[in-house]
Amino acid sequence: MSPDQALATGSALLYRQGRLLDERRWQDWLDLFTEDCQYWVPAWVSEQQQTQDPDREVSLIYYDLRSRLADRVWRVQSGTSVASDPMPRTCHAVSNVQVDTAGDERIELFACFRVDYHWRAKSDAFFGHYQHTLRREGDAWRIARQKISVLNDYIPTLLDFYLV
Amino acid sequence: MNAIHDGARPGPERYLHDDPAAGVFDVHRDVYRDPALFELEMRYVFERHWVFLAHETQVPKPLDYLATWIGRQPVLLHRDDKGKLSAFLNVCPHKGAAVCQSESGNRKFHVCPYHGWTFDARGNCVLVKDRAQGAYPAHFEQADTRLPPLARFGNYRGFLFGSLNPDVPPLEEHLSGISAFLDMIVDQSEHGAEVIPGRSYYTFDANWKMQLENCLDAYHLTSTHPSFMNIAASRASGGSSFRNIDIADFVDPAIPSGSYTFANGHAAIWIHTANPEVRPLYRQYDALKARVGAERADMMLKTINFTVFPNLQFSCNACIQMRVMRPLAVDRTEMRSYCVGPQGEPAEARKLRIHQFEDFFNPTGLATPDDSRVYESVQAGLRARSAPAAGLGHLRGLGQVIQGPDAFAKEIGITPLTSSSGRSDVQDETVFHGSYREWARRIKAGLASEVPA
Repeated sequence: MSPDQALATGSALLYRQGRLLDERRWQDWLDLFTEDCQYWVPAWVSEQQQTQDPDREVSLIYYDLRSRLADRVWRVQSGTSVASDPMPRTCHAVSNVQVDTAGDERIELFACFRVDYHWRAKSDAFFGHYQHTLRREGDAWRIARQKISVLNDYIPTLLDFYLV
Repeated sequence: MNAIHDGARPGPERYLHDDPAAGVFDVHRDVYRDPALFELEMRYVFERHWVFLAHETQVPKPLDYLATWIGRQPVLLHRDDKGKLSAFLNVCPHKGAAVCQSESGNRKFHVCPYHGWTFDARGNCVLVKDRAQGAYPAHFEQADTRLPPLARFGNYRGFLFGSLNPDVPPLEEHLSGISAFLDMIVDQSEHGAEVIPGRSYYTFDANWKMQLENCLDAYHLTSTHPSFMNIAASRASGGSSFRNIDIADFVDPAIPSGSYTFANGHAAIWIHTANPEVRPLYRQYDALKARVGAERADMMLKTINFTVFPNLQFSCNACIQMRVMRPLAVDRTEMRSYCVGPQGEPAEARKLRIHQFEDFFNPTGLATPDDSRVYESVQAGLRARSAPAAGLGHLRGLGQVIQGPDAFAKEIGITPLTSSSGRSDVQDETVFHGSYREWARRIKAGLASEVPA
């Protein structure tokens, strides 16, 4: 696959992911991931240093199975989580998409994100960097690894998958 | 003018109607919403007493430093090149700039960014820039140029505490009662406990005492955390390889539990863990039992939440959470949350501990966000000043609380001021009383110490 094709494929998938989250199409969003996907939001050890090893250091969120991610999706739509009701309105903006690896079976991407959200009569935002590994599964490209580096980690009340 | 003097009853008695014999323990809702009271509690509850600063494994190496707080005041911890820890206020004696701008790191000196005065890891001023040319008067030559050391600085088995007031009891005396619970964390490994890297800082828009209470509030679990309970149940029935504590187990009234208040505002609850096999510590049970004895090993496997008044809490369920409260305003609180584990823990147990911690705690977990939102709901509801000033939130269990230690407390050798034990479905609220009594005592003593203008 050429770098241009990889950029087009990867960008389309990242944009689609943002839109699915904004439109709360949770099952379609889960379907973007491989069953054995790694979903990782590292924590920070200090102002300048992020955690490196999710099994020896604490992450903000770490899963290595899509089913664990599905638990989280279930929770926000269950009606049993006060933190998820009402849900904030969100706007995912993804930019600066760059291809690090363009293979026929694997694409690695870097991108910037900003998620503005509005609830309880006020607006806030999370921003940072995405690193994605996409894997070809038949005709589809799916997310095998998604690392989300949240740069503003002084968190007002909560941060969940729909806010990054 | 102090709001506390405004009412019919002078002093903190106005805010705490404490008469358990008459079945009364009323906390006035102004303690959560009055900015003038917040000022008093910062001054008298936090800034005149022992306050938790950090765990020593957060500054493990020579010349490591960490910025923290006592009440509203910025504090620096620094380990010198010999390994000795010092604690001082983060303020330059010259113009008052904070000499350290970052939250943690490793350095030999702090150089004030304003005029370049330089301080070593013990807080001594080693350079006043261009001092010789300064034409300084004698007054300057006699002045103290150190970073102001804390009046008291103590280390209880790795837990570091400081006081801005020299007139406090020794740290061991302050902690007596609750130190047995700190010991149970430290003694899970022969090498002691450690803070695992990867911290979480967050805020909620509510009074800090909502958190103070909630850590020991068994009553909220089934109504605030049903989503977590459901996920735990579906993991159990689905045969998931990942398991965490199951709150549903705590609702069984047959499960033994207890809650205790201690001198100086500390408090603890325990509940028998129905599924100890999900705990990382359980994997070392035999070795643990051989080292500390069966009674203490079993105690370490219970679910224990406790408060070291006023700003430190632990939730020991599957993993161990250490949380540090920093009140920012009467209706805003900063939380610092850390995962704690035994040093030298096997890699698989450590991995489980970390992922259990991430699962439940932090503003990114499946339970803490529901707690934080509830605190904010309470803060919003408390704007209803036309509602009765006393809530009904401190009365469960009042019919069974006893003075002094219960049988279990005697068995494990702790000395609570009050005990409530028996059926776990009492979901006791008397466990909050001790902290409010200490709160009122400190404010009363603080007000009495002020010389009228």
